[in-house]
Amino acid sequence: MSTGSSISGGSAKLNFLDKIIRDYSGLAIIMVAIFLFVFLYGMITAPNFLTIFNLKTIVRDAALVGIMAIGLTFVTLSGNFFLLSMKETAALCIIAFATGMSYGWGFELSFLFTMCFALVAGIFQGALIGLGGNPIVVTLGAAGVLYGLGAYWSDNLVVSYRRPHGAEWLGTGSFLGLPNITVAFILIAISAELVLRKTNFGRQVYLIGANRAAGKATGHENFSMAIKVCTIASVCSAFVAIAFSAQVSSAQVNYFSSEFGSSGDMTIMVIATVMVGGNSIMGGYGSTMRSSLGAIFISSIDNMMVLHGFNSGPRVFAVGLMIVFSIIVFALVRRGSRTEE
Amino acid sequence: MEPLLELSNINRSFSAIDALRSVDFSIFPGEVMGLVGENGAGKSTLVKIISGFDNEYTGSLKLNNKETRFSSPGKAEKMGIAIAQQELSLIPTMSVAENIFLTGDVAPVFATKTALVMKAKDYLSEVGLDYLDPYLLVDRLSVGEQHLVEVARLIAHDPQILILDEPTAALGESDSIRILDMVKRLSDRGKSIIYVSHRLDEIFKICDRITVLRDGKSIDALPISELDVNGLVEIMLGRELKNMFPSRNKKVKGEPLIKIKNLWPDGLLQPVEFEIYAGEILGLAGQLGSGSGEVLAAIAGAHKSRSGTLEFGDLVFLPRSPKEAIEAKIAYCSEDRKYDGLFLGRPIIENISSPSLKSISKFGVRSTRAEKELSQDISAKFTVDASRLTSEAGVLSGGNQQKVALGKWLSINPKIILVNEPTRGVDVGARAEIYQKLRDLAEQGSAIVIASTDIQEITNLPDRVISFYRGAMINEIKLEDMSAIKILSSITDPYSETSMQKEEN
Repeated sequence: MSTGSSISGGSAKLNFLDKIIRDYSGLAIIMVAIFLFVFLYGMITAPNFLTIFNLKTIVRDAALVGIMAIGLTFVTLSGNFFLLSMKETAALCIIAFATGMSYGWGFELSFLFTMCFALVAGIFQGALIGLGGNPIVVTLGAAGVLYGLGAYWSDNLVVSYRRPHGAEWLGTGSFLGLPNITVAFILIAISAELVLRKTNFGRQVYLIGANRAAGKATGHENFSMAIKVCTIASVCSAFVAIAFSAQVSSAQVNYFSSEFGSSGDMTIMVIATVMVGGNSIMGGYGSTMRSSLGAIFISSIDNMMVLHGFNSGPRVFAVGLMIVFSIIVFALVRRGSRTEE
Repeated sequence: MEPLLELSNINRSFSAIDALRSVDFSIFPGEVMGLVGENGAGKSTLVKIISGFDNEYTGSLKLNNKETRFSSPGKAEKMGIAIAQQELSLIPTMSVAENIFLTGDVAPVFATKTALVMKAKDYLSEVGLDYLDPYLLVDRLSVGEQHLVEVARLIAHDPQILILDEPTAALGESDSIRILDMVKRLSDRGKSIIYVSHRLDEIFKICDRITVLRDGKSIDALPISELDVNGLVEIMLGRELKNMFPSRNKKVKGEPLIKIKNLWPDGLLQPVEFEIYAGEILGLAGQLGSGSGEVLAAIAGAHKSRSGTLEFGDLVFLPRSPKEAIEAKIAYCSEDRKYDGLFLGRPIIENISSPSLKSISKFGVRSTRAEKELSQDISAKFTVDASRLTSEAGVLSGGNQQKVALGKWLSINPKIILVNEPTRGVDVGARAEIYQKLRDLAEQGSAIVIASTDIQEITNLPDRVISFYRGAMINEIKLEDMSAIKILSSITDPYSETSMQKEEN
């Protein structure tokens, strides 16, 4: 939750604090203040929170959820709601990748093989949504299909492959002291943000998300947009599946239902990340940078609570609370930023 | 006689902007008070204060000579002040009778359908809908009838003061007439009515006095007998408005720019054929449901057609989507800018560049400078404040929104510009600017086609008019025999001679 990015320019005479009091509602200020207080208190009192090692751990933990959330952000910003099939896409893809690796196809070929599944899943869901299908219904259906395929293919068993297998660099390697998966997260976050800000495709995402009818009237149609954004989200899912498999040298369809975040469910974590970042659920407003920061933010809260010795119950509770909190604050901030003529 | 409602020295400011500055307003029993002013002059703010939606003002509000302050719309309604807003609050899937008793407080305890219908009939006849079956679902009614049902619902609470906020803005001619008749009938029964409208002809037809707001200040209410249209416009603008409509093009046309052949949009009874010439403004006249808007949308690929082709230079085609039309340099503004004319939540600059992203980018990457230059250029042409380009389009007033919705199309250098209702919900000042701009574009060689239900506009702006009536094209009216009466008769009752004489009287 970055309050810094949403502060609008005011007259130069007012100082920073006065400007905030003028532009934002009291409730939003109080909520952010309470939150900052709790966060800072937790940060200072948590043992070993502010060490370089721990900060690197936070970003690393955020990376996998973060990359998927960046992909999903495109879908949300374009007004196509959410893909509820994020973890199922990853489940099928991780089986595909591990199967390829276990056959000895090598990293590159297994990677391409896996991406084919992601492309088909993305294009298929995108086309159905683009033709007017309800995103919830379409992606819930797709979730069942994708998971079912993965479970059938792997017989619900763990597919494993032996080290050295040529994918360690992505799973456990590092670059200049940063884990490669962290590097990938940073690169993907930056390039996604650049695509949104600088390219026509990025602008179309915002325009169609802001008003689909006006988008159609100005020549930007949601059909091709839905296919593109769903494909981006699926490819991000597949990438995360590959990175995770490379880390554990194995695959199982339930990895993404039990291993991630405090609640364990990848789809829920990814959607939570997009929401905590303050992206508009109706589309047209937000950015992938917000989702990236949202991922780091959730990860740091989680980390702090672990250091304080909380078990998973309170941590799930905290994530839930943060979603509600950030939705209220962002709604208040956004209402305040509009002045009537 | 004491005024029924009297507001004096009302002030209201929104952070930095003073919306109202020491405004005075009064209304007597049985009076019809017109409330006029440009967009942003403070009409809505004043109406919100009177009806209890806004109570963060300073100043005094006296009802029946007693100092009052409404803390909520509900309180105002209890004190006998009812407001019919522009956006209707009816439930389309419920019957007329059920909608009239929606709030429940005036309905009988055992509210069977029959009981409601019996009771509803009185209120319906009061608003001139006695012919209407109260069992009908609201979504089967015309928009004008829906407005009247809304008023009937308000009348059920027996208000002393009824506020009508632009009741005819979305209505065609015959529905508007119904509303005006109703206002007269209600004022004869002793109700006071505050009538807010941009349509000055209506104001002169029904109002007893007029209060003008200008830049948040009120100008003393004047009786209608002391005013004429030009005088009123002068007071509204604070300057003289020479002629709202630019002079027309009488030159010979030459070859048509585009031939429309056998075009049969859904909703029309038969195919239409006509030609559009470069340099002219062509008007499609017709009421709501006449098909004029559908023809316009079909040319732009925004409405389905059963058949038809456009012969446009070497191009012979029928656009199946707005995208194809835009590629052929056909621009189209629909009648509802909030629905598909603007991205309200996005900055103005993005709205302006939205149809022409390709032209300001290389390999899909946008040039920030090219986009800025393009939008500054267009905002200068349409007198939109360039310093506001980065603010959301939604914060602009209706007039400025319309200028952005229209101006964005200049970015594709259109050859044909189709505009449905070019000035709906637009104040007089911005209206004149839009007319002038359309004329300029025509003179630069574009072909302009407008569809409008505003009879003043359709009589005075176009060089040529094609009239539509109930899904059929009626006739073409040339500049030399263009008159309001002639157009009105061909869009309201083209097959009857008697109606023409009635209109003349």
